[in-house]
Amino acid sequence: MASVTASVRKGQRRGSLLEYIVMGVTVAIVLLLSVSVQGFATLGNLRVIASNSAALLILSCGMGMVIISRGLDLSLVAVMVAGAATFAAFSNAGYSEPAVVGLSLLTVAALGLANGWLIAYVEIPAMLATLASAMVIAGVFRFAVLRGEFLLLLPPDNPAVVFFSKDIAPGLSAPVAAMIITFVVTWILLRFTTLGRITYAMGDNFQAARLIGLRVRPATLMIYMYAALTALVAGLVIAASSGTVDFRTVANGSLLYEVILVVVLGGIPLRGGRGGMRNILVGCALIAVLRNGMTLFDLSTQTQDMLKGVVLIIAVATDNYFNPRDTETDTVGDL
Amino acid sequence: MLSRVKSNLINIATGITFCAALALGAGGAQADPNLKGKKVIFVPIAAGLTLTEAWSRRVKQHADYYGYSFDIRDPAFKMDAMSELLAKAISDKPDVLIVHNPTVQLLTRQIKEAESKGIRVVQINLQSNQPSTAYTGANWTRIGTEIAEDIVKECGAGSGKSGEVSIIPGQLTAADSVMLNQAAFKVFAAHPEIKVVSNQASDWEPEKARQITTTVLQQHPNLCAIFGHWDVHTMGAGKAVKDAGLEGKVIVYATGGGDDKTCQAVEDGILNRVWSYDADGQGRDLADLVDIVLQGGSAMDHSMLNIDSPLTVIKLGPDYDKHLCFKL
Repeated sequence: MASVTASVRKGQRRGSLLEYIVMGVTVAIVLLLSVSVQGFATLGNLRVIASNSAALLILSCGMGMVIISRGLDLSLVAVMVAGAATFAAFSNAGYSEPAVVGLSLLTVAALGLANGWLIAYVEIPAMLATLASAMVIAGVFRFAVLRGEFLLLLPPDNPAVVFFSKDIAPGLSAPVAAMIITFVVTWILLRFTTLGRITYAMGDNFQAARLIGLRVRPATLMIYMYAALTALVAGLVIAASSGTVDFRTVANGSLLYEVILVVVLGGIPLRGGRGGMRNILVGCALIAVLRNGMTLFDLSTQTQDMLKGVVLIIAVATDNYFNPRDTETDTVGDL
Repeated sequence: MLSRVKSNLINIATGITFCAALALGAGGAQADPNLKGKKVIFVPIAAGLTLTEAWSRRVKQHADYYGYSFDIRDPAFKMDAMSELLAKAISDKPDVLIVHNPTVQLLTRQIKEAESKGIRVVQINLQSNQPSTAYTGANWTRIGTEIAEDIVKECGAGSGKSGEVSIIPGQLTAADSVMLNQAAFKVFAAHPEIKVVSNQASDWEPEKARQITTTVLQQHPNLCAIFGHWDVHTMGAGKAVKDAGLEGKVIVYATGGGDDKTCQAVEDGILNRVWSYDADGQGRDLADLVDIVLQGGSAMDHSMLNIDSPLTVIKLGPDYDKHLCFKL
């Protein structure tokens, strides 16, 4: 029994070489920037990096959980903007604050449920189902809530804007607090709950999990619902900080790419079954520091996208070199 | 008695002649521009933006009045979709094609093709490198120069400020950003105390502008001015300035269509000085220009007809009025 648990635990550790490489690269970049850019290694800059990456980390928690279960949620950013738009619409209509929050949560949970249902019960592959639902959700909410407009400017008295502009504790802003809470909740879910165990089992070997009687279908529903909820939190953080609900972030695609990049760079393989919150933290740290550094060096958006692509290629190639796939780690239907 | 009849007849004849002249004169002075059944197609960068909605509204009013058809083809920000929609629009052989250019280079070939096929092309607000029948819109060089000169006055030598400026274009290759930056940098070249510390494009997104500005403010807390190339995304930058507690110390400049949200932002202190080209007025200019071109109007030497939009500077102060902005 002890040897079985030991090998299971070892299995969860394997493939984390990428994580160490990424950690090393992050430290190297931090050192480089501290030396070459005045004012980088200050508490103020750390706070800036944290607040700029809050939404990214929140989304990565949801996406990380989905990817560990061997799924993929390409509709995450669409749900994020749809949730923020719903929140704005209900608060403009004059409902009370708890009602607005409750209704938005219900809407977003329904969207996640729909995704999960398509994947678990209709058995459409996750990538295709969420790709399609992304377009449907973005289109429906843009036309139903925004009447065809792309942008919704939020008034400064909007409850989300007011709440997320405050500091929860001295030095701790509300978006950063939301980020920490989402991170901790996801960690607890993955580590200590049955849902978390089923998630890892599904990612490791879906058929085996199903055959030994784990309730994979309800688990799928809950995983996608949780991802949708994290998307709502991220959407409110972004809407509050920028003062707008912007459907072009969906069409743009760069935020979704960054979220997947964070998860993959952190060491969670797209075929699932391995990884945890530390991987997400490491991946997010690299992307956050990289983004901050590129802005400080005044690199154009095109150069920034190019660098991010190069970083991804190098990371995946390095991982492949140090972790060649063998019959044990290779799984059928690999992404 | 005969003389009485003769004078009566002369009176009546004069009267009839006079009335006839009046009636003919009244009827002949006004021409009827028969524009019924003509076809106008508009390909904007995206419908669903206040700018393009404001323009479309005015052109539709004129189209309904004169009886010509007005059709909007919406690429929703996708560049390749825009080229395809333009190709389809050209094959539909409209009388006038209204084009909104995302970059100076993208649609040059298609505009040339349309003009050669006899389709009159009117460019709105963002010029291409390829001239066509007519252009109406903001004069970006003028806006860039005026804003840069204002920045020099506020932040340059003798102002006691640091002279540091952050520029936030939408996209570095977009027509307006190219011209605004060219004009601004020309002014700044003559004033070496002005330092442009950041020139990062925000993809027209307020959130990206906010993140860029938060980072820049962290590194340059003595930043004097921010020059955003579109008022909507500059609002994100303005929010970052407010969140950093630097409201009033950093002057936020922007340019845009001047709808009521812009005035609200100026009142809230998120934007400080906005060079508005009044999208609603531009819509009327565009509609008038389309009517003129449909009636055969063009420059006598076949160069491009050019109607620059008048500018208003919206800022708090004695000249501020909510009605400087329009409501869609």
